[in-house]
Amino acid sequence: MARYVAGRLLQAAIAVFGVLTIVFVVMRFSGDPTLLLVPEGASQEYVDALRVELGFDRPVVVQYVDYLGDLLRLDFGVSVVQRIPAFDIVAARIPYTVLLAAGALFVAIGVGIPVGIAMAIRRGGWLERALAGVVLTGQSMPTFLSGILLILVFGVVLGWLPTSGAGDLDTLVLPSVALGALSMATFARMARIAIVDELGKDYVRAARARGLSLAGIVGRHVLRNAAIPVVTVAALEIGNLLAGAVIVETVFAWPGIGQLAIQSIQSRDFLVVQVIVLLISFVYVATSLLADVAYGMLDPRIRLAR
Amino acid sequence: MSEAIALALVVENLTIDIDGASVVDGVSFAVEAGEVMALVGESGCGKSLTAFALLGLLPDVATIVEGRITLDGLDLSSLSEREMQRVRGNRLSIIFQEPTASLDPLATVGAQIAEAYTVHHGVGRSLARAKARDMLVAVGIPDPDRRLTQFPFELSGGMCQRIMIAIALICAPRVLVADEPTTALDVTIQAQILDLMKRLVAERGTGIVLITHDMGVVATIADRVAVMYAGRIAEIAPVEELFARPSHPYTALLLASVPGRDQPPKQPLATIDGQVPAADRLGEGCRFVDRCPVAGDRCRSEAPPLVECAPGHRAACWHRDRVAGLAGIAA
Ligand SMILES: Nc1ncnc2c1ncn2[C@@H]1O[C@H](COP(=O)(O)OP(=O)(O)O)[C@@H](O)[C@H]1O
Ligand code: SF4
Ligand SMILES: [Mg+2]
Repeated sequence: MARYVAGRLLQAAIAVFGVLTIVFVVMRFSGDPTLLLVPEGASQEYVDALRVELGFDRPVVVQYVDYLGDLLRLDFGVSVVQRIPAFDIVAARIPYTVLLAAGALFVAIGVGIPVGIAMAIRRGGWLERALAGVVLTGQSMPTFLSGILLILVFGVVLGWLPTSGAGDLDTLVLPSVALGALSMATFARMARIAIVDELGKDYVRAARARGLSLAGIVGRHVLRNAAIPVVTVAALEIGNLLAGAVIVETVFAWPGIGQLAIQSIQSRDFLVVQVIVLLISFVYVATSLLADVAYGMLDPRIRLAR
Repeated sequence: MSEAIALALVVENLTIDIDGASVVDGVSFAVEAGEVMALVGESGCGKSLTAFALLGLLPDVATIVEGRITLDGLDLSSLSEREMQRVRGNRLSIIFQEPTASLDPLATVGAQIAEAYTVHHGVGRSLARAKARDMLVAVGIPDPDRRLTQFPFELSGGMCQRIMIAIALICAPRVLVADEPTTALDVTIQAQILDLMKRLVAERGTGIVLITHDMGVVATIADRVAVMYAGRIAEIAPVEELFARPSHPYTALLLASVPGRDQPPKQPLATIDGQVPAADRLGEGCRFVDRCPVAGDRCRSEAPPLVECAPGHRAACWHRDRVAGLAGIAA
């Protein structure tokens, strides 16, 4: 188990390094950043001086090595636009996105898993068909559309919930639902497939043979077995949630990382963009690592392997 | 005790349809306490469906259209699913061909054995665990305390089948149905498992319905035999009687491939030319007619009834007189 985790950690480190390099290259080759920072009609001398000051005159390879060195010292650089540490700018937004992602996961898992279980157990019945409609809606609606619809219905027409900004807990409701809807559908589908798959296995028949009820078998045996594939998907879903957060935060004016990413890209504040990408890829890798560890803990065949 | 009370399980005229075809057709047999009743026949003859029907575990596609199953005087066919749950694993148990797949891979074997007890007796964890440990000892598993904490993947197939037997017998059922319990196992392990079952029958008086396609297994362990062909019983008799005087051509051909009662045969019994007819190609007459070396005109048009040819010995064949000539055939 320890060796398994160590191996996965190494893979994770390589993945983060890869993402880092790609982002650096893309940001440096998509135009001269200095030009965006100078006022209209500035003299060439001023531009050159600024370029030297910011270090953009050096060869890209030197800049890259320098950048990696800074990262190793946990120095993420200074925002060229705001002239304060890029990390601080991002850090201020983290709690909002964490809150939103947690709310969305709560919706996705809290609704998706029970829906998936119900669909699997009531396979072929009216309940499954009704729930399949819910899942299909969640699955086929683009996040920006569901966000706008939610705002219209619950904010404008019914006036039940606030539709923009972050404040009390009630401001979290609509963005969480908008962001979680797609993942909810994924969880429901995955849970349904996994449970139906398990229900067809020999051990289920054997459990019935010793007198267990279907509910007893699902509760004691099937859910745990079905959790293994679902947990893996859950990790990927957290990554998808972060991607969706960019849209939802924009639609709901939610001051999180996603909104900051859009703003920073527009103003070409690329040190901030780099920190965001680094953070997101780190979260992505960390969650999939976490899923693998959870997977290993759930499955004794991996847990007990030496 | 009268003869009738000793009958643990009685199956009468069991008929199971899949897509309108009678894949099990009018099957009747009985199992006495402490006897091994073998149900033998090639693959696809309806043995497993018969077994599942006894437990109320038929797949959705299959329906019982007729028949009565009585366990110790209790008519199982009249029970609701809930009532049937109280019977399964408690008074009537079953073990399957694939012992390893029959265990939840994520639960310890101890938990699974104990569960079989707690589901029928609302007892605490430690008592159930002690019961589970006793059962492991009873089925001949060494080092039971360690085994209880192990997972199925840590055990061999033979060991898993012993676990399945422990699960099946922990509530001391009247009858154990064993659907090809040794088919997936090595030959040496097969013998051990059969020995174990034989011993348990003797010690506990459990009746066993042993399903197999192997006449060697029948010779080793059975008291009585029902030979099944394409969903029907072709012949039923005490084991010595059946081996000495087979009265159905199918039985005679099956036996022709068995070297002798004392040494089990190396090859399985499917050494008869042709195949069991598919469910949708079952004609009016005798279902064996296409493969029968002694068939006559009547065989194709009219199904032969199961008639008594000696005490406790019945066969379904129009031309029983021609069977004697078959005995020497393939030997
Ligand atoms: N789940 C099922 N769906 C459709 N047909 C089935 C199913 N189970 C069994 N059958 C059919 O029923 C017949 C008897 O099957 P089975 O009882 O499994 O035979 P055996 O155990 O003697 O090998 C076969 O023709 C098989 O194809
Ligand atoms: S009834 Fe006819 S076809 Fe069937 S087994 Fe007897 S002789 Fe053969
Ligand atoms: Mg079978």
